[in-house]
Amino acid sequence: MSESTGRHTPAAGGVQPLLELRDLDTDIALRRGTVHALDGVSLQVMPGETLGVVGESGSGKTMTALSIMGLLPPGGRVSGGQILFEGRDLRSLPADEVRRIRGVRMGMVFQDPLTSLNPTMRIGAQVGEPLRVHERVGRAEARERTIEILRRVGMPRPERIVDNYPHELSGGMRQRVAIAMALVCSPRLLIADEPTTALDVTTQRQILELIDDLREEFGMAVVLVTHDLGVIAGRADRVAVMYAGRVVETAATTELFRSPRHRYTEALMEALPESAIRESGEHARLYSIPGLPPDLSRPLTGCRFAPRCRHATDDCRTTEVTLSAGGHQHACLHPVPAGPAAPVNLPAPVRVEAVPDPARPAAGPGEPAAGPVLSVRDLVKNYTAHGRGLLRRTAGQVSAVAGVSFDVGPGETFGLVGESGCGKSTVGRLAVGLEQPTAGQIMLDGTDIAGLAGRERRRMHRQVQLMFQDSYAAMNPRMRVDAILAEPLDIQKVGGTAERRARIATLLDQVGLSRRVLERYPHEFSGGQLQRIGLARSLALQPRLIVGDEPVSALDVSIQAQVLNLMRDLQRELGLAYVFISHDLSVVDYMADRIGVMYLGKLVEVGPARDVVRAARHPYTQALIDAVPTVTPNAAAARDGMTIRGELPSALNPPTGCRFRTRCPLAQDICETEPPLAGDAHQVACHFPLRPESTAASAPAGATA
Amino acid sequence: MVRYLITRLGQALVVVVLVTVIAFLILHLLPGGAARATLGKEATLEQLAAFNHDMGYDRPWIQQYGMYVQRLLQGDLGYSYQLNQSVVEAISQRLPKTMVLSLLSTVLAIVLAIPLGVIQAVRRNRWPDYAITSLSLLAYATPIFFMGLMLIILFSQVWPILPPEAPQGFTVAEVLADPAGLVLPTITLAIVTIAVYSRYVRSAMVDNLNENYVRTARSKGLSERRVVLRHTLRNGLFPVIALLGMYLPALFSGALVVESLFNFPGMGQLFWQAALKRDFPILLGVTVIISIATVVGALVADLLYAAVDPRVRLQRSAS
Repeated sequence: MSESTGRHTPAAGGVQPLLELRDLDTDIALRRGTVHALDGVSLQVMPGETLGVVGESGSGKTMTALSIMGLLPPGGRVSGGQILFEGRDLRSLPADEVRRIRGVRMGMVFQDPLTSLNPTMRIGAQVGEPLRVHERVGRAEARERTIEILRRVGMPRPERIVDNYPHELSGGMRQRVAIAMALVCSPRLLIADEPTTALDVTTQRQILELIDDLREEFGMAVVLVTHDLGVIAGRADRVAVMYAGRVVETAATTELFRSPRHRYTEALMEALPESAIRESGEHARLYSIPGLPPDLSRPLTGCRFAPRCRHATDDCRTTEVTLSAGGHQHACLHPVPAGPAAPVNLPAPVRVEAVPDPARPAAGPGEPAAGPVLSVRDLVKNYTAHGRGLLRRTAGQVSAVAGVSFDVGPGETFGLVGESGCGKSTVGRLAVGLEQPTAGQIMLDGTDIAGLAGRERRRMHRQVQLMFQDSYAAMNPRMRVDAILAEPLDIQKVGGTAERRARIATLLDQVGLSRRVLERYPHEFSGGQLQRIGLARSLALQPRLIVGDEPVSALDVSIQAQVLNLMRDLQRELGLAYVFISHDLSVVDYMADRIGVMYLGKLVEVGPARDVVRAARHPYTQALIDAVPTVTPNAAAARDGMTIRGELPSALNPPTGCRFRTRCPLAQDICETEPPLAGDAHQVACHFPLRPESTAASAPAGATA
Repeated sequence: MVRYLITRLGQALVVVVLVTVIAFLILHLLPGGAARATLGKEATLEQLAAFNHDMGYDRPWIQQYGMYVQRLLQGDLGYSYQLNQSVVEAISQRLPKTMVLSLLSTVLAIVLAIPLGVIQAVRRNRWPDYAITSLSLLAYATPIFFMGLMLIILFSQVWPILPPEAPQGFTVAEVLADPAGLVLPTITLAIVTIAVYSRYVRSAMVDNLNENYVRTARSKGLSERRVVLRHTLRNGLFPVIALLGMYLPALFSGALVVESLFNFPGMGQLFWQAALKRDFPILLGVTVIISIATVVGALVADLLYAAVDPRVRLQRSAS
């Protein structure tokens, strides 16, 4: 099964590794066959170090973590190799012993803090449970130690939190509870599986810093599993890159990011939007890895990345490649040449000089100074909040959108960024007419859509279409793709049968899918293909504006690049305008001409994308930018400017005046009065903008440091 | 909390009023009528008319309903000429005995169904699961009278260890004095309930065992036993609590058959005999009592749910 001979490099300086995986094989038996999730995985974790395990979905990174913890899903089992923890093979120890080790010597933090805690047990009982079970500690002492550990993970008022239930805490706070639970017995090893993927960037930063601090304080080792290269770059000592159930490259973090050797690692880094921006300083095409990862239930020979690799030769498809020796190991026959001429050794995006780009004027190509496609004025949306559960009484008004105004020109991409709950999705839903605004105007080509009814309203819907984050959920699973694509044409009564068929064929060509997909059902497609079908459906009526609500957030980096490129190509060909809604600043930076930043229902900053990202004027925007992990190691260390603490206030009773003032480091008394969105091209709603507008575009970037 | 209770009681009242209207209409629109049923085949038309006039049965039905409700509010459910006693008296003699039977079978059902459901969930898609599932479906599909008959044949004919008839005592104490007689009726009534409850427990437990929080619990190095009993069981029992309230009417319809089969002098038998003899006051009285019990049962189940699930509990205290 495992072809790699598994070389076990002795640890430097004679220190025993805390954890060592030797040729680990893990199989998962499913109804349709057996998936070989891990194939000969060998890893070492030294005491006190952070090992980053990075890979896309299906790479085996989570299965590695679950194999170590003995928490494989039903049907899963470790079928070969060794898991040496503190010198003992967990696979040969009795079950009781392993369970004790798992509870006391290891701890694990999972991805989704909202579902990872027992909803009907008090926080204190859950966190203190390992103490009671493994250390046979009494109730009072367990409670005391629980409060202590909660305090150490930065939980405010821990003596009260212990008696709370999980649903009474926010996502970030629940993740702190999960971390406390993993650490309560002072383990030697903490495994964190995508610990911040479900969290907002500012919360992500807090949690990652917490894990870093605790690692030092407890002197433990950390295995940080993530799909996000940026998260790894800032935090890990060493990195293991996984692809299709194997480790393809491992090296010290700085070394790996400075000079990746495996062609997969290289391609992955090139597919990042921030790399494209950095490479050419402007909106270059992303490198996208063609195709899909292999099906692990089939027998595979050779390098598993070969079918998608630019540099693959016949050798790659037939020869088994094992990890090379040394500190920087890679399993590639045609590695990237080592040396200083590295592809990602470029300055951080914050320091790129802003140059006005004559090639992309604000107006779309060939349409001089046309009026905006979409014009939003003083948009307000309030929801009546009901208590959930038994009592459905009115609890007040949730202010989801509070006076938002912006324009989107023809052929332009307007990016809308903000953290969850900021109202960006609501703005999107209002813009396409899915919901009625409480107040304010939405104008399409100068016509207020509120006044439209019947046939005119239907015509309006042709002009603007929505693209979803989860296209699978947005498609009827019992409809074939041909029916899905024909439906908008049916509803709008466009053309006859033949005409519709021709239109659908054109759509498939546009999004790069073959005609054969027409007879298939949504569940037969991968995430990237579904986004293409979703995009084709949005295009069916030849709209002028597409509102994309997190259209690539559910996709892996390599697939994300394919979809982003496609969206840009279509924009150029069809003169489309986009409202691109995302929480991911680097994606929005790559896609958008102009960016609007939302916080708690309000636009706090609007301006040209380059200016907003590289010369932010609002403290919140700056904090957001600083919180985004980048693949440039040490970039995190260079940032010390804007850190926001605390939690997003409730939209039920938003702060008066500037809504950000409760978390803003610059807030003064005057912030209790609302600052207007002021400025020319680069507007900001702040009494103390970080920089004046005039210098923002022209000042050398060095001034920002 | 108080406000919630008032709202729910208001809703309950509406349901009860609707039930009385519907029951009243159906019974009074039936052909034949109470007069013929009471006075017999020999009665002359004049006698029938006189009876109807005396009882107010010749007035418009809306007026009759008004009179009925007026008496109802005074605790008067009417008078059964066939039993020659008031409806309240007839019911209050038999209701406690039916409650004993229902309570015993419900307790038996819960005590057996929860472990069965848990075993099925933990051993999902292995032989214990398949075996219990098959038996549950068999029990669910068998008509209750047939099940009762089979039990009687088995345990009092083929292997005579239990009496085929339920205790005939007049009071609850007398009924309880003959526990052997209660065994077969209780088991008959419980079997279907066990089948239904264990299915619910199984699916709730299966859902919960797949939750992320269970994986977290395992990551703490807890034994499988502790994971199931301390973490999953409580959450898996919530649907059963809701079911308890909803299942009251089904329990009564079961009692109807079982009481007739085992000749047990309870409410079910009372209703059964009244239906055969068109004893309208009894039918109406029992229907009203059952509808009240159903509505109250659902309310109690909801309150119980709120008491055990902190997520629901919080919503109440917050508002």
